[in-house]
Amino acid sequence: MARKIGCGCSLNLLIILGLVFLALAVSSFIGGTVGRMIVGGEPLSVFAVHPPQPELPAERPFPGLPITNTMIAAWITILVLVGLFVAATRKMKLVPGRLQNSVEFIYESLANFIEDSAGEKHGRWFFPICTTLFLFVIANAWIGLVPGFETIKLNGVPLLRNANTDINVPLMLAVVSVVAVEYWGFRARGPSYLKTFFNFGALGQGFKKLFTGKLKAGFGSIFNGIVGAFVGVLEILSHLIRIVSFTFRLFGNMIAGAILISVIILIIPWGVPSIFYGLEMLVGFVQALIFAGLTLAFGCVAVMAVEE
Amino acid sequence: MDISSEAARYIAIGLAAGFGVIGPALGIGWIGRSAMEALGRNPEARGAIMTNMILSIAFAEAIAIYVLVICILLIFVG
Repeated sequence: MARKIGCGCSLNLLIILGLVFLALAVSSFIGGTVGRMIVGGEPLSVFAVHPPQPELPAERPFPGLPITNTMIAAWITILVLVGLFVAATRKMKLVPGRLQNSVEFIYESLANFIEDSAGEKHGRWFFPICTTLFLFVIANAWIGLVPGFETIKLNGVPLLRNANTDINVPLMLAVVSVVAVEYWGFRARGPSYLKTFFNFGALGQGFKKLFTGKLKAGFGSIFNGIVGAFVGVLEILSHLIRIVSFTFRLFGNMIAGAILISVIILIIPWGVPSIFYGLEMLVGFVQALIFAGLTLAFGCVAVMAVEE
Repeated sequence: MDISSEAARYIAIGLAAGFGVIGPALGIGWIGRSAMEALGRNPEARGAIMTNMILSIAFAEAIAIYVLVICILLIFVG
């Protein structure tokens, strides 16, 4: 009886599968576009792939209608997410069935992650937006890997496209994230949240000290005050730059992934692209975690009271 | 020696990508190294160390992504 190693298959079966995979990959490489350029000749029609022509803006598959293919993909994402959570939460039982259990696992991991960083009170503020950001980004990224995205064409334009590759979606998420952080700052600290930006406290104290006669301490405080005010202005700039960095981090990762997949399919059409799909799943997960985690981190900084 | 604009563009793309990712690569390596050292000294703090390491790596990688976006713009739009 063959011993079972790894994935429940025997060693013989794994060796056979590995050889089949290798045969597919090597044959498609040699017969494909790149291999034929080395060997000389035309790529075999089975392996012929169009060179990738990535479009950065999203395209419209229906002439006349202002609906882009990334919009359709985002709608699919929304339907999937809402459908999943609604299906899991109707007829909730104390001892959950499988679907409810999986959804509870997602919910609980995210809730623990947020409450570990932010404490319980602020964690409840942060939870809706951070979780929604995480789930939207990861669902967009993973649904964009389903076969049919960017291959089914209507009027010469792909019908569906990964919603994160349209720069409007990361931009929207970044604006939501930054506005939410400012809102949390105001909600936690009231109007004194503006002291992070307009930090004239030390300056005011410096002038007061000057008027009450302590010259040396006064000038020291004025100097600290000027530095503090400058740092405050830099804070405004840094908050605005967050919008740019959030947008381009997500957009760059997603568009690079899409281009990478199309280039790998050009080079080795059979077998190997599945490995890169795995990489794309990992990248989607990490980027979602980063987006939600950074929103959380900036929120923690914003609600933290300044120690005098 | 006249350089055509096409050639200059491709040279620019190569140089931008090549030099641009040196910084983030070094940065991510440093972050990983310090995370390993911290983990070696205090294996119990694994959760906090790994979370902060992933966060810092994301910041460093964002710079590389800026470079990538510029190069993609140069190839397909410039």
